[in-house]
Amino acid sequence: MYSNDIITSLLIIGLGAVVMMLVAAFTKLSNLVLSYVTLLIITIAIYFQLGYLGELFAFDIQAELFNKMLRFDSFASLFNIIFLVGAFLMIASARAFMYATKFFLPETFSLILFAIFSMMLLSMANELLTAFIALESASVAVYILVGMNRHNVRASEALFKYLLLGSFSGAFFLLGIAFVYAQVGSTHLGAIQEYLIHHSEHELIIIGGVLMMVTILFKISAVPFGAWTLDVYDGASLPITAFMAGTFKIAIFSVALRILLVDYASMDAFFKPLLVMTAVITIVGGSLLTLAQQNIKRMLAASSIVHSGYLLIALSATTTTSVSAAPSIIFYLVAYFLSAVGAFGILSYISHWDTERTTYEDLKGFAHENPILAAMMSVFMLSFAGFPSTIGFLGKFYIFTSAIESGLIWLALLGVLAAFVSIYYYFKVIAMMYFYEQKQRYNLSFSFTPVIIAIVAIAVLWGGIGTGLVSFLPGANIIIQTAQASISSLFL
Amino acid sequence: MENILSLLIFIPIFSAIILFLLPLNVKFIRYASFIVTLFTTTLSLWMFNHFEATSHLQFVQEYNWIKEYGISYHVGIDGISLIIVMMTNLIMPLLYLSFWHLNRKGYWLNLLIVHGGLTGAALSLDLILFYLFWETMLLPIFFLIGIFGRENKNFMSMKFTLYTIFGSLLMLLAILYLGHTHHLQMGVWSFAITDLRLLHFDMQSSLLLFAAFIFAFSIKIPLFPFHTWLPQTYRAAPTGAIVIMSALMAKLGVYAIWRFVFTLFEELSLQSSHFFVILGLFGMIYFGIAAMKQRELKKLFAYSSASHLSLVVMGIFAFNYYAHLGAFYMIASHALSSAALFMMLGMIYKRTQSLHLHTLGGIAFHAPIFSVFFAFFALSIVGIPLTGGFVSELLLIMGAFKYNIILGFIAATTLLIAILFVFRVIQKVLYAKGSLKAFEELRSYELFSLIPLALLILAMGIFPSYFIQKLKPTAHQYTIKEIQDVQ
Repeated sequence: MYSNDIITSLLIIGLGAVVMMLVAAFTKLSNLVLSYVTLLIITIAIYFQLGYLGELFAFDIQAELFNKMLRFDSFASLFNIIFLVGAFLMIASARAFMYATKFFLPETFSLILFAIFSMMLLSMANELLTAFIALESASVAVYILVGMNRHNVRASEALFKYLLLGSFSGAFFLLGIAFVYAQVGSTHLGAIQEYLIHHSEHELIIIGGVLMMVTILFKISAVPFGAWTLDVYDGASLPITAFMAGTFKIAIFSVALRILLVDYASMDAFFKPLLVMTAVITIVGGSLLTLAQQNIKRMLAASSIVHSGYLLIALSATTTTSVSAAPSIIFYLVAYFLSAVGAFGILSYISHWDTERTTYEDLKGFAHENPILAAMMSVFMLSFAGFPSTIGFLGKFYIFTSAIESGLIWLALLGVLAAFVSIYYYFKVIAMMYFYEQKQRYNLSFSFTPVIIAIVAIAVLWGGIGTGLVSFLPGANIIIQTAQASISSLFL
Repeated sequence: MENILSLLIFIPIFSAIILFLLPLNVKFIRYASFIVTLFTTTLSLWMFNHFEATSHLQFVQEYNWIKEYGISYHVGIDGISLIIVMMTNLIMPLLYLSFWHLNRKGYWLNLLIVHGGLTGAALSLDLILFYLFWETMLLPIFFLIGIFGRENKNFMSMKFTLYTIFGSLLMLLAILYLGHTHHLQMGVWSFAITDLRLLHFDMQSSLLLFAAFIFAFSIKIPLFPFHTWLPQTYRAAPTGAIVIMSALMAKLGVYAIWRFVFTLFEELSLQSSHFFVILGLFGMIYFGIAAMKQRELKKLFAYSSASHLSLVVMGIFAFNYYAHLGAFYMIASHALSSAALFMMLGMIYKRTQSLHLHTLGGIAFHAPIFSVFFAFFALSIVGIPLTGGFVSELLLIMGAFKYNIILGFIAATTLLIAILFVFRVIQKVLYAKGSLKAFEELRSYELFSLIPLALLILAMGIFPSYFIQKLKPTAHQYTIKEIQDVQ
């Protein structure tokens, strides 16, 4: 009875993607109608997934049919809901933008659904090859989405760069799988775990792990693997950037966490120094890169590298016995995701037809004409910066405590210093909006978009201060509880 | 009324949010926020009456917030936080009144938020909750300076924010480490100071944690080497922000040392008290001399304020009854005097667009009532008899003598530094023949904002025992240890 719901929701998204592609090819429905249909499809899929949220369970989906390749547990269910909500919020908050610009072909919605479908598989993949296929098919959908703006040179450059480098780095993952298979004779995560318990030699598994790590570090844009990030995020149109920075990155972390926790946690003596080193380089490099940016979109892109650095702190803390590190990653991902959706949503909302208004100059005096939008933007910036009373603060709180817990105090100190630097570049956006005279009129038309963004802003605030006192709303501690449950479901 | 503390914290914050979201005109917002502050003032007076003169925490409220990490919403009040809360609630409505003419919406809303934030920080007994309020109250100041300030306001608001956040972030790390240690030693997470004070640390880590807290708080106060943000920020900031920073926020820094550093690192505080007493004394003299050199009134009183706060820090680190009582009393009396003075500086600036000593002069010939008030508040800063400042300085000097005769002697003599620059200000601003052709007399709302402050300062000077009786038990808290320390 359990597995029917999840299969239904997978089928809805998968078939929905195919149907949307056909609809786009054979009818002349406008983007607006298509976006409504997509939102409806996603909503139905969310409905079928919601029943699992907060429960502790794990089972293989149709074990005979799929040969235990797909495992559905609390972990996967939480991530599935995040992907679906992410896609929903992205489409809903970018409707004004998609409607105004010419370059979003009707196939966009089909591609988004394909991407979501693959990500859902990715979070459920209990076998390395399945994970690779899901990862690549999600990436292919995202490649095309990046290049959607065909007439823009920068978008084409971004597509090309991302496609080439992405495929190249994807090959490492495949090679890693080959090494693991050579030693274990299976690519099933459970089988690898079994093998490690009973055998002492695991050189090839380590080599395989390092190679797979290359792909994952590439996708989460850790320094130095993430050199593509800035141009690709900048070249893609705003909603797609939000989708990459928020949702797609979460998908990568879902598979990384699963592989790391199930198989590689026992080899932390080898992986911990690597991860710590990467975290340090990523945080320092990302902070320096972000400080140099003169454009808000590029600044957000560069700062997403820093956020990957914070996540790497927690990831390197995960390899020890710390129980709080892995849930803190999930919490931080949720926190970052909400803020990114909101911030990019506002930027795409204020775009003037095809022209994106993303320089600091463009935002000067923004608050005088649109006080509420400016306040919401400030909330997202504060959350990015980890300012208390936003969800971003609790995210940093959990990550730094987990680092301290596993004895990585110096890494926590580095994280704190990076948070201090980030205050500068995030507050700069706020300062631009409030402290300068208005330079241009925005003439924003009313639409549904700000309402969605407002809901996200309230979620960001409530996630930071929410108490359990209000009976009909979950408090701030519910998210971390859910995250803890989902991590423990990996070991059921 | 057991939830009175929560009301005091959240009424201003929520009214600010509601007033922001509703499409109201400035006039309505001005009246509404004034009424809100009057209401919280009434509440706080009720609380003052029901506050029992013991050293226990009162009106305590505790709810779980994030249970997994032992973070709770935990508030309570004792003698020293009573001072901060009362001062906040007394000064805020008068501050509103003093620039009633102003028609900028954001000004009023930011003040409401900082009002709630200050109260919250002064009442929090959980470190994470405290950190939340401590940072949140920074945001309105960032906006106030950046939007309503002058000259290089954008740069200064950023510098001030970065400077203070740097301190707080290191403190955050220390807080996290404390929580983690509690988890290690007691098996559960907790961030309540009542739990954390039971922890044991080795010398090195306790020294680092102590330093992180002291660093954060001494930036806010500011103590001697961390004052470099002070003069420029005061110069750029609008009146409302300065009054809050000098009269309330700086005191909150002292309060936080008392509440958190003394509670968590009692032994280390006692051991290092000598260093901080001397640092405080040095700061008082240093800032006093710096104040004498200033030509701009805001900067001058910025330094003067820092000088008095260094004295307060000396008082709390002297660890004896008189010094503590004097420090508490000075927190209150200096809050009132400096609030009034900075409000009057705002009035001068509004009239003349300048606060430079050379351009002012001869105000007494144009505006006698203004001059009387200005002279009174300036002198009350120095601590002339019949003002609250006199009582507090007397107690502090007694405390200093009890701590160490030589230091007491130095403190007693150097207190007079303040007199030098205050007399110079009074002479230059009020009496010297200057270029001022005209100077508008106090308007009625300005007068009404100053009279209560003046009366209160006088009352504190004439009937000190009424106020002191509420503070006595809290000031006594460390006297037992003081005897051991002497031995």
